[in-house]
Amino acid sequence: MADLTIVQHAEAPREERPARRLSAGALCALPVIGLLALGFAAPLVAILGYSVATPRSFDVFRSFTLENFAALFDPTNTVWLSFLWSCGFALLTVALLAVIAYPIAYGLNRVFGRASAFISVLFVFPLFVSENVRLYGWVLFYIKNGVLDGTLKWLGLNGGPEVLYTPGITLFGMLYTYLPFMLFPMTLGLALVPRDLVDAARDLGAGRLFIWREIELPLAMPGILIGMLLTFVLAIGATAEAKILGGQSIIVISHDIEIAFTYSQNWPAGSALAVLVTFFIGALTLFALSKLDLDRMLGRR
Amino acid sequence: MFPTMTAPTAPARRPILQLVGVRKSFGGFHAVQGIDLDVREGEFLTIVGPSGSGKTTLLRMLAGMDSPSEGNITLHGERINDVPPNKRPTCLVFQSLALFPHKSVGENIAFPLKVKGVDAAARKARALELMAIVRLPETYHDKNVMKCSGGERQRVALARALAYDPEVLFFDEPLSAIDYKLKKTLEKELKDLHRETGKTFIYITHSLEEAMVMSDRIGVMRAGKLVQVGTPEEIYGAPVDRFVCEFVGEVNSIEVTRGADGGWSGVDVSGAFKVQPPQGIAEAGAPDRAFIVIRPEYMRVLGPGESADNRVEGVVYNEYSLGSRIQYQVRVNARDGGEKVMLVELSRARALPAGAEPRVTLGWDATDAFTLRG
Amino acid sequence: MTHRRTHALIWIWTLFVVAVVYLPIACGALASFNKSRYFGFPVKAYATDWWEKTLDSIEIGMIVRNSILIALLVTVLSVLIATFGALAFARYDWKGRRLYQKLIMLPIFFPQPVLGLAMLLGFSAVGIQTSWMTAVFAHLVWVVPVVTLVIAIQVYGFDPSLEEAAIDLGCSRLQVLREVTLPLLWPGIWSGMLFAFLLSWSNFPLSLYTAGADSTIPKWLYAKMVAGYTPMVPALGTMATLGAAALLLTGGLVGILVRRRTAS
Repeated sequence: MADLTIVQHAEAPREERPARRLSAGALCALPVIGLLALGFAAPLVAILGYSVATPRSFDVFRSFTLENFAALFDPTNTVWLSFLWSCGFALLTVALLAVIAYPIAYGLNRVFGRASAFISVLFVFPLFVSENVRLYGWVLFYIKNGVLDGTLKWLGLNGGPEVLYTPGITLFGMLYTYLPFMLFPMTLGLALVPRDLVDAARDLGAGRLFIWREIELPLAMPGILIGMLLTFVLAIGATAEAKILGGQSIIVISHDIEIAFTYSQNWPAGSALAVLVTFFIGALTLFALSKLDLDRMLGRR
Repeated sequence: MFPTMTAPTAPARRPILQLVGVRKSFGGFHAVQGIDLDVREGEFLTIVGPSGSGKTTLLRMLAGMDSPSEGNITLHGERINDVPPNKRPTCLVFQSLALFPHKSVGENIAFPLKVKGVDAAARKARALELMAIVRLPETYHDKNVMKCSGGERQRVALARALAYDPEVLFFDEPLSAIDYKLKKTLEKELKDLHRETGKTFIYITHSLEEAMVMSDRIGVMRAGKLVQVGTPEEIYGAPVDRFVCEFVGEVNSIEVTRGADGGWSGVDVSGAFKVQPPQGIAEAGAPDRAFIVIRPEYMRVLGPGESADNRVEGVVYNEYSLGSRIQYQVRVNARDGGEKVMLVELSRARALPAGAEPRVTLGWDATDAFTLRG
Repeated sequence: MTHRRTHALIWIWTLFVVAVVYLPIACGALASFNKSRYFGFPVKAYATDWWEKTLDSIEIGMIVRNSILIALLVTVLSVLIATFGALAFARYDWKGRRLYQKLIMLPIFFPQPVLGLAMLLGFSAVGIQTSWMTAVFAHLVWVVPVVTLVIAIQVYGFDPSLEEAAIDLGCSRLQVLREVTLPLLWPGIWSGMLFAFLLSWSNFPLSLYTAGADSTIPKWLYAKMVAGYTPMVPALGTMATLGAAALLLTGGLVGILVRRRTAS
């Protein structure tokens, strides 16, 4: 998969626009760029500033030390464990969601026909319900005397398993929360596979598995990769699942950052950790995005 | 009547593909309404028709992407209605060409070989052979197929279809998005390729010009039915109805009725006409209605003393250059005081002199026109 | 035919996942109608007491007003900024476009708790007191990129020669915007508005760190979940969900009606 940029059929080269247009584009981008400079870049600079400030102080931009970073690399520090939990869970989330979402994405493109718009809305809507509310619903479902436990007892069985406040339920919560972020890019990716190409491959003698491996999967890859990246990155930063469902049976990396800022009131230490996470995510995102042609992904309907 | 058509080399003419009463409906819409057709082995058959006439639906059924609602399609006498496309010895060249954008020219061409499990070295060798046949340079083997020009892509698509080694090749208007000059070249190459490979070609287009150049036989479709099947000469010279006639090109038509005495007189243009008896209209019994159809190039402008079987008076009011020919629009007197426009095409050598009297006499012989049922 | 069986399996799987997606929301609704203070299933007695208490609560009324105010401001501001942002994203060819397209994705690809904390740091570094106003700003940072993408999809389907034709017919730049560009982009802008409102309405991680002493619905719910559960939690959660559903439904219907009317 050397280069994912795929140029679509006989697309006429974009006509050269007069110079006046260049400034029109930049002009339109200005408000967004301003917002992101103030709201996104500046806070990151602040974090960077705090990360080199004297530990347990608020002397941002007035002191310089690498102590905070050194502390992170101290072998006795447990943040690495949190980081591993986060990465491991994020990877598992990505892998499982890819399997869960693929049939649905395929269905939205090829099977559901007119119903697919409605089914898409069903999957979008939960994004408009706070994740607290949805995750708390699971607590009510799994808790002792909750919906699952109560139903099983009512059926005369032993009652539900004690799954709440375990690492497993944290993973379940992450699968639940990030499903749409895998599903929609994947659906978009599969929509990029022209029907003609599948028909042509079939006409040339290929079976379904062969078509899937040689045609559908490679052509849908940009969308699938965006979905995987988005899910991975969001899952790395996930805290609510571990806190609400997992009952802090495991500590994830974002939670460590929060603890540094809140309970231990050590902003510089939290900042150093946040800087590391940010670099990790930023590098990963920019690397993946550099391989994708967004015009093509969003432009085709 | 039709100009220079070399007689196609005569291969064995037994039917390879037979359609009997083939119908296809989508919900309440009947896209194809009962088609009977024998496709002869080795022929170049073109189906022409305006958009929406059902020709693409017909092709999709032949290629196996749709199955008929009714009727039978047989290949070598075996029913193939529900045989999926990957199990048929037929191959379709798509209108979009459907080249795989993530594969190189060579990989595209060798795709059917990869499906069959041919090893990489043999695949490459065969791909290069096919590239030579379709006149693609060897250096293109590793080129990204999306970086090829329109004409090159046509050749890749063709080579890929040949790599499948089908008995019948289908073409779904693959030349529709190509500029005129290149189209002419590719039409000739396709015709040559047909002769060289000896395979059966079934081609679909809305352009009769394309059909005339390449085909051994042409089938004209209209509203889901095959109206006429015949050689280009037959389609041009003896169209079965006004639809085919007008589809083939611009024509003059005059509605006529037969009186009790057996003579024909115009309905929309006044006058009595000498007409070749139309097929299917009873010799006896009257009155009957028919249309006389005269192609503009068979219409003459009569000079003093020249004679013709039929004549009408008119006034030239417009002229267009058609390159080597000139077309005149002539207003002739119609019945009931109305007017009717007739078209005359003359070669430049016989053009009307500039500043000539616009009043002219048009004439044609009965044998230059054909008569169609009304 | 195996084809049909695969399709049936896909349907079954999808409906199963949809059911799982809505299961916890249904559980919340169920808990809110439970008469007793502590949840137990099967519910012994149903009552609307907790809904009434929630509706009567002055504190919750204020929180709901905060949430609505923030969401409305975010909607107006983000659509203004994002419409132009989408034109820069998809309509114009300019030098920095490719880079801009990628940078704009970064806030979406950034974990929100960390983003919220970073902004809190930023505000504190320059000495800004956090309140609902800073929360509006924080929401914008995340919502504007999303809305930009939503509108950009509409912009891609827009034929630039229409604008050129309007200019050719004598329109000024402003008239082109009013008469041609905005009406054609309207469906995208409308969906963008719905997205903006609903994303702000349901946002928790950004509000948690940047709203200061002011609370929003998700923030209040979280506080009560962690300490001091009452059935008012699922009651308010369900109300917020129903509110979002009603808005989405009305928004969708209005969109369809407007399209029908312009089409006829």
